[in-house]
Amino acid sequence: MSLWRLEWLRLVRTRRLVAILGIYLFFGLTGPLSARYLSAILGRVGPPGVKIELPPPVPADGVTQFVSNASQIGLLVVILVAASALAFDARREMAVFVRTRVDSVREILVPAFTVNAAAAIAGFVVGSLAAWYETAVLLGGLPPGRTLLGIAYGSLYLVFAVAMVAAVAAVVRGVLAAAGIAVTILLVLAVVGNIGAAGRWLPTSLVGALEALVRNADPVDYLPAAAIAAAASAALVWFAAAVGTRREL
Amino acid sequence: MIVETSGLTKLYGSHAALDGVDLAVAQGSVFGLVGPNGAGKTTLLGILSGLRRPTAGDVHIAVSRRRMALLPDTPQFDPWLTGTEVVALARTLVAPQVPRQRIDEVLNDAGLSEAAGRRVGGYSRGMLQRLGLAATVIGQPDLLLLDEPASALDPAGRREVLDLIAHLRGQATVILSSHILGDVQEVCDAVGVLRAGRLIFSGPLEDLLVGRAVPAYRVHLRAPVEPVADALRAQDWVTSVDATGVDSLRVGVRALAEAELRLPAVLAAAGARVISLAPLAPDLEDVYLELTSG
Repeated sequence: MSLWRLEWLRLVRTRRLVAILGIYLFFGLTGPLSARYLSAILGRVGPPGVKIELPPPVPADGVTQFVSNASQIGLLVVILVAASALAFDARREMAVFVRTRVDSVREILVPAFTVNAAAAIAGFVVGSLAAWYETAVLLGGLPPGRTLLGIAYGSLYLVFAVAMVAAVAAVVRGVLAAAGIAVTILLVLAVVGNIGAAGRWLPTSLVGALEALVRNADPVDYLPAAAIAAAASAALVWFAAAVGTRREL
Repeated sequence: MIVETSGLTKLYGSHAALDGVDLAVAQGSVFGLVGPNGAGKTTLLGILSGLRRPTAGDVHIAVSRRRMALLPDTPQFDPWLTGTEVVALARTLVAPQVPRQRIDEVLNDAGLSEAAGRRVGGYSRGMLQRLGLAATVIGQPDLLLLDEPASALDPAGRREVLDLIAHLRGQATVILSSHILGDVQEVCDAVGVLRAGRLIFSGPLEDLLVGRAVPAYRVHLRAPVEPVADALRAQDWVTSVDATGVDSLRVGVRALAEAELRLPAVLAAAGARVISLAPLAPDLEDVYLELTSG
């Protein structure tokens, strides 16, 4: 029984892994479906006599629906799950058990961060693959190289989000406080990213990379944000370990 | 000394939770930290365990951090882990060289064999306390810090935990905080008394008790007791005789050793029908109240 297995059991036995995989899979399956039949659905639920005309859906529309839902509700689930593991000082008596048996908080933090980031990536990959398959069936094929690169960029963003939770959890103790502040910071970054050219450098731009790439955006455009996300993730985890080690229980 | 502190001070804002504590704990001893609520016991244990930092002063602990363990007053574990997994995790973290079968042994010693495979979310408070002790001793620590280890337990649970602590004597140094003075007197050989962050006594339990209690015997005998009391009062080594019931006498003596030699003979000569005879143990509670009420 190691701290790695502890984090794995936390995900499995508390059904948090099911929640992450389930939510992304659900949006992966329903995204292309709603894109394919949106026109028909609106026609049925709209007022009688009103006809809604939409352009015929293209394969990229299936991914758009998935990314839209995954980047909001999916990200929220990932952050809540990550906060529940990374805010390990939230309950003192529970924290004492592990904190007094390690030399450094890093020993607790690295497995918790890695396992939760991996779970987030797994969820996003499963959802993306489901969306890709269903898009191919309902709307037509997606460019494989661009799709895979988009999935990689989206996964990197989730790693950054989990690292952000780790850093915030090192400063505040509560699970909900850590999750709430992390969400707020990511939202602020997203808003800032929409102003001027800064967005190209911010990790939040990776959220829409999958959709943009299947719509023929230049993959190189996302390299700065990817580099920043990778560097920032490492820095945030380092910060979390440094601050967490100094925190008193 | 396995633990030594000098001038240890911990401030929370302007409040001194610890105020210049000079503590010395001998290797192999079972050391009791007593004091009223807010005296600084938990803060002191937190600093010794490395979970809190002192504002001033020095701490010297003669063992590495991995060779010491802290058990909080209400230990908690992830509720979806089994008892076996909790102890196994503790073993992996602090003593991976300990054979796996030792996990079952310490769970058995803690009386948790039957519950070992159950998730700890369903454990009672006493079971959690014993599981905490099992997870503590699996690492065979040299220094155990126990914060109120029996305070929340029912009499049976308290008895079990005290027996577990007594069992550790000779295997490890134990520092335990408690406000149950009977427990401290039973299992500890040295004691520190904290009041308002200050260590007002530290040393062997005997040093604390001796000189603070008059040596005396309690004699239970068949009535009437007065003729026996008169015979005892005639002895020059008897300092006082008080009837403490229809069949009980409290006999103050110059020295217990002297009484051990002479008391049975005087009782026999007086024709006393003795039911029981025992020295009156000095009571830590009386001494504690005297020390902490000032």
